[in-house]
Amino acid sequence: MKVNRSDMFVTAIALLITLSAAFMVMLVMIFIMSETPGETLFYFFAGPLTNKYYLGNMFNSAIPLILTGLGIAFAFRSSMFNLGGEGQVYAGGFAATAVCLAMPAAGAFFGITVSLLAAVVTGAVIAGLSGFFKMKWRTDELISSFLISNALIYIVDNFITGPFDDPGNNLLTTSKVAEQFWFNKIFPPSNLDISIVFVVIIAILAFFYLFKTHQGYEMRMCGVNPEFARYGGINVGKYIMLPMLWSGALHGLAGAVYVLGTSHACFKGFSGGMGWNGIAVALIARNNPIAVIPAALFFAYIEAGAESAMINADITIEIASIVQSVVFFLITAQAIYNFLKYRRKAV
Amino acid sequence: MESYLSMKNISKTFGVTGLKANDNVTLDVRRGEIHALVGENGAGKTTLMNILYGIMQPDSGTISLNGKELKILNPIAANKAGIGMVHQHSRLVNEFTVAQNVVLGAEPKKAAIFFDNRKAEAEVAAVIEKNRFHISPEMKISEISVGQMQQVEIIKMLYRKAELLILDEPTSILTEQEIQRLFDTLRELIKRGKTVILITHKLSEVKDISDRITVMRKGRIVSVKDTADVDEREISKMMVGKSVIFDFAKGEEGCRETVLSLEKVSIRKKRQGHPILDNISFNASSCEIVGITGVAGNGLTELEDVIAGLQKISSGSIYHNDEDITNISPKALRERGLAYVPTDRLKRGSSLDTSVKENLILTSHHDFMKRCGVFDDNKISEHSRRLISEYKIDGHSDVPIGTLSGGNIQKVILARELDNVKDFVLFSEPTWGLDVASSEFIYEKMLEMRARGVAVVLISSNIDEILTLADTIFVMYRGRLVAGRASGPDLTREVIGEYMLGLKDDFRGEE
Repeated sequence: MKVNRSDMFVTAIALLITLSAAFMVMLVMIFIMSETPGETLFYFFAGPLTNKYYLGNMFNSAIPLILTGLGIAFAFRSSMFNLGGEGQVYAGGFAATAVCLAMPAAGAFFGITVSLLAAVVTGAVIAGLSGFFKMKWRTDELISSFLISNALIYIVDNFITGPFDDPGNNLLTTSKVAEQFWFNKIFPPSNLDISIVFVVIIAILAFFYLFKTHQGYEMRMCGVNPEFARYGGINVGKYIMLPMLWSGALHGLAGAVYVLGTSHACFKGFSGGMGWNGIAVALIARNNPIAVIPAALFFAYIEAGAESAMINADITIEIASIVQSVVFFLITAQAIYNFLKYRRKAV
Repeated sequence: MESYLSMKNISKTFGVTGLKANDNVTLDVRRGEIHALVGENGAGKTTLMNILYGIMQPDSGTISLNGKELKILNPIAANKAGIGMVHQHSRLVNEFTVAQNVVLGAEPKKAAIFFDNRKAEAEVAAVIEKNRFHISPEMKISEISVGQMQQVEIIKMLYRKAELLILDEPTSILTEQEIQRLFDTLRELIKRGKTVILITHKLSEVKDISDRITVMRKGRIVSVKDTADVDEREISKMMVGKSVIFDFAKGEEGCRETVLSLEKVSIRKKRQGHPILDNISFNASSCEIVGITGVAGNGLTELEDVIAGLQKISSGSIYHNDEDITNISPKALRERGLAYVPTDRLKRGSSLDTSVKENLILTSHHDFMKRCGVFDDNKISEHSRRLISEYKIDGHSDVPIGTLSGGNIQKVILARELDNVKDFVLFSEPTWGLDVASSEFIYEKMLEMRARGVAVVLISSNIDEILTLADTIFVMYRGRLVAGRASGPDLTREVIGEYMLGLKDDFRGEE
């Protein structure tokens, strides 16, 4: 007799064990590589919490992760894989920038709306393409989304370094967008901006959509058991396309929010990691939109910790990244394992 | 006679629910006998056997084999002790050959690491030869029939040198002929000194094959008898605690207006010698139960999928109330009011990880919207509460349906499908694997549907079921209908059996 509660208990224990394992590995690495391990550890764990600047930035870097995590969760809930997050974030951010640059004199509300919309549509179209291919020719969306996204990264790179390059700046970046489009900072001196409020609302809406609406129900049924869904008269083809559109839209939005909130320009490679980490965030959150928020914060925390240890203690950027990767690796591996187990059961 | 296997005072309680699945159970099995373990679903038979096979550990009690006390911690230990189990649902790998499946987990190896396929095939062939099975070790599992898969499971256990074989509901998915073949196999095994424990709830089989019977009810042993001393009615009485009457009065012929009609429906596939479905024509009318039977592999599954709209047809037409519904989508078919209880309950009929509540609204979820596509949770909960009590489903509405017993899963499916039935309903193998009480419940529902004027199509390889319920009986053989007659005293088991095997054909030469 299977009992769901004990199942959850096992999952929680497993997560705890993984976390402790990750922590141990981290300890060992820091002790080996750092001259002053105590200090390094302090800055790694407590660093992000020691002042307003670090704390705010930590929350700020969770913003795009929440959006990409949600995007992935949507796709996973319907048993679709979107591996093109990187490219969708990048293209979305670029589209938002391009719109803002095209109308520097527009009003704030109008400009921001149009620019966000452009990002959302761009992301949705890119991911939707993979959904469309799958529906039409059964192309594996896992491969196609990855390939399309990779190609797009180079195309966007070309725009940024070519026609959109800011000649007055030595970095490979576009010009800054007009100031009225910048999101308001809410926690100075950090970069944290108002969009965090909206992102949390989006997560709650996503939860509501998935679990409390007609369409969410159909989407989830197609995800857990497509044969069951088809048998019950649900148009399964529709839910190959739709979750990819949602997923892409959220990724595009993540790019736009980063540009308008944090960087104010689209610089080359700004989306690096946002797409991939979104997958890890969704896996840890077990595709629950609400759980995506703490999962994204956890990722942001580890990232901020690594940065703080690097700045304040004696470890180099490489070591900080290695420590960070080991933690991510272990946690993601565990989450993927659970996910595959679940998927195998479902399929 | 001295006992070979003795399970003494076995108790097992399940954690959260506190359900006593086995309550001080003592089972004795003699060497060289076929011992039937009977009881309704949930009586504790499978739990007891899972304990014997090491899948579960008892809370208390001892197991001894050949007078030696054993601790069986896992199935591997059970195999070592000479105990083998064949599960109800086949656990074979479709892409592997018979031989590869048999040796899986105990593979012969070349140079200690590489799998030795040739040796595997030779060893398995030897086991097959010795026990007189009719199956080739090189065949892939996907190419063989369900009956043969079961043989493979048995071969698998024999390959592991099992002396005591446990078979859990082996006949529930087999046809009449395959059952006979299985029984021949079992008799052959007994001759070679093996011992068999057979879990079942088909009473005719118990009478047919077993030497002794142990009856379980609600986790306890109710009775142990020599098979020769009891008849089916007595066994059934012991199982359920009351006498089950299987004589359902068939209703009066009533309304009879054609609801569903198939005309010359065929499915052809490339590289397939004969069509999978070949010119199938029949009508199903209101107030009528149409029974379609046949041996597995003769097109029953395909016919089920066609009627359910899940499989497109190559030629022919299908009409619902005189409107052409040929090859319309399952969605459109559902909108026209199709109710359908599928053969595959676990994969098609339900979504195991999803709650009972969400399983119950699959076909009616359009009716629970407040506005803008938002669900009315209260209405959904109320709906599920009502169905759970109406269909006496033993389970909570928020738990995943996969945690329910087989009988209760089927009741959830029934509740969902029959609750908003319009004018036709398709049942496919509605009772396989179910106990007497659940089957009876389903039969009553089917008759209730007919009384309400619904056209009922019943696809079943269980001849007794067809004979008990159907007003018109069709038999399929190699994708064709070979008989279509009103049920009556002249249409006996034997006659239907002849049609099923292709010995008789009423429509040969007709166009």
